[in-house]
This record gives sequence, C-alpha cells and structure tokens, in this order.
Amino acid sequence: MTVQYEEIKSVKKAPDEEFYLPGHRTCAGCGPAIGYRLIAKAAGRNTIFIGPTGCMYVANTSYACGPWKVPWTHAQITNGGAVASGIEVAFKQLIKKGKIKDEFPNIIVMAGDGGSIDIGVQAASALFYRGHDVLFIMYDNESYANTGIQVSPMTPYGGNTTFTPPGPMIPEGKKLFPKDPMLIFAGGGHPAVKYAATASIGYPVDLMNKVRKGLAFEGPAFLHVHCPCPKGWTYPSDRTIDLAKLAVQTGMWFLYELEDGVRKWSRKVDKLRPVEDYLLGQGRFTHLEPEHVAKLQAWVNERAQVLGLNATLPPVH
Amino acid sequence: MAKSYPEVPFAAIVPCPTVENDKMVTGNWRSLRPVVDMETCTFCKTCWLLCPDASVVSDDEAEEISFNLKYCKGCGICSSVCPVDAIRRVPELDFTD
Amino acid sequence: MTTKKRSTGLTAVCDAWQLVDIDVTASYPIRPYTAVMAEVAKRIANGQMKCEMVYAEGEHGQFSIAHGASMAGARATTGSSGVGLTYAAELYSPIAGGRCPIQVLVGDRTLDPPGDFGSEHTDCLTMRDNGWIFGWAQDAQEALDNSLMCFRIGEDPDIMLPQIVAMDGYFVTHITQDYEVPDQDLVDRFLPPFKPKFRLDVNNPVIMGPQITPEMGPPLEWDRNVVMQRAKGKIVEVTEEFGRLFGRHYAPFVEEYMTEGAEMVFLLQGAHAVTCKSAVKYLREAGYPVGMLRLRWVRPFPEEALQAIAAKFKVIGVIDTGTSYGAAGGGGVLLVETRASISETPDKPIVQGFTSGLGGEVITHDEFFRMAEMMRKTLEAGQLVQSSTWVNFNDYV
Repeated sequence: MTVQYEEIKSVKKAPDEEFYLPGHRTCAGCGPAIGYRLIAKAAGRNTIFIGPTGCMYVANTSYACGPWKVPWTHAQITNGGAVASGIEVAFKQLIKKGKIKDEFPNIIVMAGDGGSIDIGVQAASALFYRGHDVLFIMYDNESYANTGIQVSPMTPYGGNTTFTPPGPMIPEGKKLFPKDPMLIFAGGGHPAVKYAATASIGYPVDLMNKVRKGLAFEGPAFLHVHCPCPKGWTYPSDRTIDLAKLAVQTGMWFLYELEDGVRKWSRKVDKLRPVEDYLLGQGRFTHLEPEHVAKLQAWVNERAQVLGLNATLPPVH
Repeated sequence: MAKSYPEVPFAAIVPCPTVENDKMVTGNWRSLRPVVDMETCTFCKTCWLLCPDASVVSDDEAEEISFNLKYCKGCGICSSVCPVDAIRRVPELDFTD
Repeated sequence: MTTKKRSTGLTAVCDAWQLVDIDVTASYPIRPYTAVMAEVAKRIANGQMKCEMVYAEGEHGQFSIAHGASMAGARATTGSSGVGLTYAAELYSPIAGGRCPIQVLVGDRTLDPPGDFGSEHTDCLTMRDNGWIFGWAQDAQEALDNSLMCFRIGEDPDIMLPQIVAMDGYFVTHITQDYEVPDQDLVDRFLPPFKPKFRLDVNNPVIMGPQITPEMGPPLEWDRNVVMQRAKGKIVEVTEEFGRLFGRHYAPFVEEYMTEGAEMVFLLQGAHAVTCKSAVKYLREAGYPVGMLRLRWVRPFPEEALQAIAAKFKVIGVIDTGTSYGAAGGGGVLLVETRASISETPDKPIVQGFTSGLGGEVITHDEFFRMAEMMRKTLEAGQLVQSSTWVNFNDYV
C-alpha cells in the first residue's frame, strides 16, 4: 500500500474522527465492536471494509443499516479473502486504465475466527498467497458467536460452548487445542506476507499502530486481534478490557509482530501470571478441574518457550 | 386486503451514516448509567477511546467528559478502565430523565 | 474490420471479452472450460488484453473474486464447468440479488459421480432458480454473439443481472469452427462502458448488503422477480439491435427450423441442434412432418414465445441433455418448463420428453430418427404414449 506509516503516540493523541459511529446492535461491552472502532479510527477515511458474515455483520447491520462512515460490503463467511481480492484487483485495474480517478484505498477484511481460520481459511490463504494489497484482520472472540456461541478452531481448550458442553463423558468440554493463525498465515508458508501481528483491544494504541503498519506494508498483511466477548465467555460486560489485559498477562494471548519473519515482542513481559487469574470470572471455564487448568498452563508454558518469550513461567500443578 | 410492504433500497444498498446510525438507537438498553466526577477525572481519555459505542464524548478544549445517552448501553467499560475511578455506574431508575 | 477466424467456442468468447475490455477475470482449471482462461492469460502476457487474471483458489473463490471486482465497479468475468459450478453454488443468489452483472462462461459438463468429462446441461441448470439470465449457444459464432449481447443486457441500468453464457462441453468448447470477430468500433457502439449505479467509493460511501428484517425480504425478492420479467423485453430489444448493427439476426428466444407445415417438433438447446437440423432434413425427405425449435434462453424461460407458436404443432418432443431426478414427467428440466409454459394454451400440443446426449455422447442421426418415430406414434395415438423416454433405455420403438 502507498500509505505512509504515521505512529499514534498515545491514547490522548489518537485521532478524533470516528469512522465506526454510535448505533449498532452489538452486545453491551462487545470486544469486537471496540476492535472495529479502533481499527476504523486508525485506518481513516480512505478505507473500504469487507465484512464476512458473523457478529460484526449481523449485529452491526441490524436492520438495513450500519455504523460505518466509510464504504462497507457484506461478504459470505466463506469468502472474505476472495471478495477483498476482487475489490483490490478492480481498483488497481480501473485506476491503471483511467476508468476511475480514485486514490487506491485501504482495503480491510474484518473476519471473525470462523471466517478467517475455519470456513474462510481457503480464501484467506489464497489472498495471502497472491499478494494482494489488503489488510486481513481476524477479530477473535474464540467462538462462532453470532449463531449463539458454538465451538470454533480458536476456542481454547476447556472452553464451554453449545457444541462443547462439559458433561461426565467430556468433563473439560472442549478437548482440542486451538489453531495458530499467525503460524499458519505468517509463519513463512505465505511468502508474500511481510507483516503480521497479534493485537488486543486491551492495548488500543498498540492495536491502532499495528493496523497502520499493516496498511503501510506492501502487499497483504494479517492482524490477529483478541476481542473478549461478554456473551460467549459469560462475564459481566464491564470486564472486557480487563480480561483482554489478563489474557496477555497470563500468556493466554501473546502480543508480537512478525516483520519479514522476525518476531518482535510488543511488551516487555518479565513474568507470566498463572492462567487461573485469567480463567477466573469467565463462565465458560467454571467447569474446569485442576487437571484441566494444569493442561492449559502447560500449553501456555510450551507456547511461551516455542515462541521465545523470555519470561518466568508459572509452575504447572 | 393486500399487505403493503416498506420501500426497499436497490439491491439492499444503503447510504453510510455521517454522525450516528439512528436506525439502531440503543440508549434504552441501559440499566446502569455512567456518571463522571470531573473533579477526579484527569482527562486521560481512556474511557473515550475504549467505548464500544463511541458514546463517551470528549470535549478537548474544555477537557471534559460526558456521555451520549442516546446510544450508551451502560456496559460499564468506561467505569472499569478509568485509572482514577472517576466514573460511577448509577441505576437508570434513579434518574428522572 | 470484421475478422474471419477459425477456432473454438472458448476462443470466441475470449475474443468477445477482449472486445469489451473486461477489467478482471478469475481463473481455475476444470475441464472443459479451462482453455478460455489459458487464452486470456496468453493475451494478457502479450499485451493484447488489458485485464487482470486472478488465480482463484477454486470455483467458489472465482465467483467471489468476480463479485468483489464488480462491486468495485469493474467489468468482471469468470467461468467453470460441472462440479466447479456446483461448488460455487453459495454465490449465485448473492451475486444476482446484489445486482452485480458479472459474466460467467460455462463449458458444460456432466456432474459427478464419478468423473465424466462429457457434456451435459445439468451443471448450471441446477442453479437456475437464483436469478441469473442464461442460455446455450449452438456454435462458436453464437457463443461470441451471446457474450456480447449478455454484457449489453446484463449491464443495462434497467436490468443489472449476472449472466451465464453456456455452451456444450467439447462440441462447442473444443471443436474448431469458422466464425467472425466483429469490428471493435461496432462493439464500442453496441456496449457502453460499465457504469453501475453504486460501487465501493470512499467519495460516495454506501453499505452493501446489510442484515434485513424478514419483512424487507419479500419486496427485495419481488424486485428480483420484476427485473427478471423485464429482462424478456430487454432481450428482444437487444437481439434486434444486435442484428441491425452486426448483421446476424437471431430469434430472441426460440429459433424455428423447418417448422412450416410441421406437425411434430423437436425442442432442445445447444449444439445438438446442429445434428438435429441435419436429421430433420432427412426426416422431412422421408415424409415425417417434423421441425425443430431451439431455445436460446432458459432464464428467463421464454414461455410467451412458446405459447405464441405451440398451437401450430401437435406434438413437441423436448430433448433434455441433462437430468432432474424425480422431476414431474420423469424427464429433465426443459420437459417440466415446456409443459408448464403451455399448460393453459388452447389447442396445446402433446408434450413428450426425451433424455438423450447424456455423459457427453453425441445424439446420432439414428437416435433422432428413432425419436421422430416415437413422436409419430404419439401423433397417431392422439395422446401421450410415454411421458418420458430415456433414449436407448426405454424406447418404445
């Protein structure tokens, strides 16, 4: 993309203008909505959003309306990456042929976990492979939330969803560990992806700058944004930011960038808090036994080591 | 009697809003209203930035915070993220407006 | 300058796409349509065509890419065959309902199971309910001409519908034929640049396709019905304009061949009509009062055009080169649609079905003769002898 990277220095220095306006049917305290607002703010006026089916489609556009000040189009849950590719190529061609006088816009896909890494993974992968000038953002609320909270490949081990309810036969509820989209999209297997980053709404300035960086990099960029979900995770709506921070503090979410394949940690972390601190107060985890928590802690510790986080890790009980 | 249907836009394409999306007014969801104590407030603008509904209004000149009660859902995030506890959540039923 | 050319149906459509200066196409290989994309790729590489070809990840991706490009205001195309077309099934309604006038080239192919590269019409007929306009070309010339006419009809501000330009796999996609490539100036006069009512544009921001309440659904769908019906008039108008400008005059909906004095007619679509015409000539010489009707459109189905001529005949033998298992009458889609079209026509003919040409098989002269003999039996009986005959399987002569 031809945008120049302009860092946002602080909360107070964040741009004033809103591009994700009041008036949407998202849950009170909705994490993805906070994400959308920050992303739209960072991207600015010259932006086109592609919204595959999911909470950020249905909840935002109920009914026959929407909160975006910039152009936005629906896409199928399956094809956010493909529709964005078509839009990108169209703009490039129409500008090249002189059929339109537009400036090439920021093209951003806002896809949920399903639309990015499950049913939408094929289209996303193809977009990354073909090298389109598109920023693909995965807003991760760790479930298929819009349909009433069903398991997705991003639901953590032990996460209670309507497809992974705990019971005597399956005490942990969810037995599987999640996919790692950063590894899949940006781990070197898609050579055209030069910039990818995880982000969290708990660290809004960091998130906004990563959006801008992604837009500034040539070719496709990928952002994986952690967005706690009061309905899906079952917690009081005011804890959304709190939980986002706890996820990072416990290693249930790692915050880093991959620039040309080189990892750069976004925060100095000397020591990880035990996962219990994050699990506490989330209804989706109340059924977990100590052995399940231990498994989660072990997983966090292993990931921290594999990713090369230099921090003291909590013991596995 | 034949039922009459609403006018629908071509191919379900609607214009973007410019200030607010008043087709989905959400202020009536609220059971707890945010109230800010401007004496305590340090105008760090964290509440403003993190409101999912862009309903914390920041007057940069006067350095004052207020709330867009037409849309505020009462989620309480503003209150929760405030570093100096300047925002209380007060039951809606306590207000007469 | 019109150029005389000797090539395939696929190349002919590529010629059309070049003439109309498409902006974006999306490719993915599947037999038998693939060569059109290879041809586009060649022409991009040598500078003949100024468009971008996106290598899609699959047919679902192809349609999605073309959809996105169209929303951004580009003239976009794609194509496929067989199970590729059914894989893209999710997108047909969103694209038509979104009123994005993309063009899809179909080199038809039998659906799995198992793998069969031969031609059958079932693949895109399966998608007929979604609101696209489409029909079959019988040869390379008609494929090129249909492509041009489809852009003109589909992109018309009163219509704005996506189109399928269908042709028989192998018979039209691959057989080398003579055709004429029209003059660029004439094409420019015939087809204006694509200027959609709405596109993704930060200077005129819109929200495309928001979630609606149930009660907004019916009027949106009524609109789609209205425009599909309106397309019939537009097809007539454009076909006539095409004839005036390019000198090739097509019947807008139904081509009649040797129907003067015919008591029985074959009704079919696509390339098998070429053999049929030859068979009809022989049959006439042998004393069979037979003619042929060839459909140029299957959506919108030309019921009025059929109603206008149906009473001229006593028997219509509808030939389906495709299947619709369990359909009323035991035959295929064309049998159902034809019977439905003339069900209320006074003095309507007896309509019987033939299923033939499945799997990419040629319908031989011999088979046409046998079908004609079966129709003659129906004529003699004055009523249906057998509702649907799968030729070679349950013939009654």
